[in-house]
Amino acid sequence: MEYLIHLAILISIWSMLAVSLNLIVGYTGILSMTHAAFFGLGAYATAISMTIHDINFFLSVLIGIFVTGVVALIFGLILSRFRGDIYAIASFGLNIIVFSIFLNWQELTRGPLGIPGISRPEIGFGLDFIFKSNLHFLILVAVFAFIIYLISEYVVNSSFGRVLQAIREKEQTIQVFGYKTHFFKLTIFVISAMMASVAGSFFASYITFIDPSTFSLNESIFILAIIILGGLSNNKGAFIGTVFLILLPEILRFVGFPTDIAAQMRQIVYGLLLVGLMMYRPQGLLGKFRL
Amino acid sequence: MDSIIPQLIVNSIIAGSIYSLVALGFNLIFGTTKFFNLAHGVVAAIGGYGAFAMLKMFDQNILISIIFGIVAAAFFGWLSEKLIYRPMRKNKSSGTVMLVASLGLFTALQAVIAIIFTSQFKTLSTNVGRTKVYEIFGGIITETQVVILVTAILIMIGLGLMMKFTKLGKAIKAISDDEEVAKIVGINTNKVIAKVFIIGSAIAGVAGIAIGFDTGIEPTMGMGLLLKGVIAVIIGGVGNVYGGVAGAFFLSFVENFGIWKISGEWKDAIAFTVLLLFLIFRPGGIFNKKK
Repeated sequence: MEYLIHLAILISIWSMLAVSLNLIVGYTGILSMTHAAFFGLGAYATAISMTIHDINFFLSVLIGIFVTGVVALIFGLILSRFRGDIYAIASFGLNIIVFSIFLNWQELTRGPLGIPGISRPEIGFGLDFIFKSNLHFLILVAVFAFIIYLISEYVVNSSFGRVLQAIREKEQTIQVFGYKTHFFKLTIFVISAMMASVAGSFFASYITFIDPSTFSLNESIFILAIIILGGLSNNKGAFIGTVFLILLPEILRFVGFPTDIAAQMRQIVYGLLLVGLMMYRPQGLLGKFRL
Repeated sequence: MDSIIPQLIVNSIIAGSIYSLVALGFNLIFGTTKFFNLAHGVVAAIGGYGAFAMLKMFDQNILISIIFGIVAAAFFGWLSEKLIYRPMRKNKSSGTVMLVASLGLFTALQAVIAIIFTSQFKTLSTNVGRTKVYEIFGGIITETQVVILVTAILIMIGLGLMMKFTKLGKAIKAISDDEEVAKIVGINTNKVIAKVFIIGSAIAGVAGIAIGFDTGIEPTMGMGLLLKGVIAVIIGGVGNVYGGVAGAFFLSFVENFGIWKISGEWKDAIAFTVLLLFLIFRPGGIFNKKK
């Protein structure tokens, strides 16, 4: 049972990442590969504020959202100059720069040693409730994941979301109608990054230890694989993709592969899935949009 | 006074020649197919591991091992073109879709290498610590590095001659200018592109083997190497073969002198900062002001 709860928590955290990245890649049609950086910023914001400054978890989530929002704004401004393949390469670069900072700014992040001893969320104000058991944590993270899902659904179904999808289909056309597309792209980029930051905060608090290796470029590729598999421009697809790719190594382990081989096997499977999908079904399983 | 500058220059030249090998192949492939083939990095790793398998696992001599590594890299490059990229070109897949497919291929092959050879760092060198070293103006260069440098220069010259004087070289140039027109005048574009993949991948294989002799190989080496190659290509002007070489040396000098005063771990961050600065202020590369 504990094991199932553990998997459900992972699925909740990664579905936040997938749903948020889908806003950029699926709905707006920009191939951003820097999502793991925002995931990491949230995680480090929570880790540092909880272990060093003894700040409450929920406040640390807000700090993470704020820091990530500012960084995403700067990144978004830089990236707004590029399009197509160059955009993808530049976003690669930003991910690697952030990763280097996690790894090398040792005074702040302890570098490759990572930050241990991050505690679980706690509600103060006389209630004094700690989300210590995994079941309680699962309920909390699932609620947050659901909120993020609802916000995404709201955004994409609003007039704002329709403009985003118009940008994806034909940016010049919507510009002719007087929409400042740069502003729309920047806004959705920042919103999506903030959502990834929330996922990072929960990840840090759940695992209680973080180090830079989780937030490398590979993770960005993994999140991208999730949403391409599930289907671009479809939030349910993003969720299904998450469930499948998170459970995949567990299934492989169940079939009898040792743990480290199972992790590599997952890479092989999702790598080949990406190739196959791009060749025969570029919009993913449930997607509406082809890259 | 013992100055560090000569050593920095030597290091820059060695790194630059390896980056230029990656950039050469990448540029050739990009020139004819117009997409960012990210699997190019793992092809270099295949070269390195191919040589490693022959040398250390089957006890062959160095020359046979090197040839085997190069052939292995060329074979995988050709196979990826034949099985994946050619059908995608036929379907008129966009450059972004092909980029994602190559990313998937990269992820899968990297994991395959990790399963076969484990994730440990391995060296091809058979006489660690006993290599002959030469001193030039106070900078130390190993015998291996001299061989690498000479090989790189020979490959650059050879490729230049091929592009200029052979029919294949001319066909490659024609396809780079306009694939449709090249087809109309009777060039078998698929055949030429297949050859380009073989040549480009073989050169990448040489780069992988060179790294294996100089320092060592690990399954994840491909990504770092590829990105350096891509940065070199963008700095030098995409599609411009010699620009890529200039970009590679520019990058390696900035990288190596950049870490003069700070820790070497920052290399990647420096490289990508250079890339972003170029993309923002000089998107056409060193030699070209136009976008």
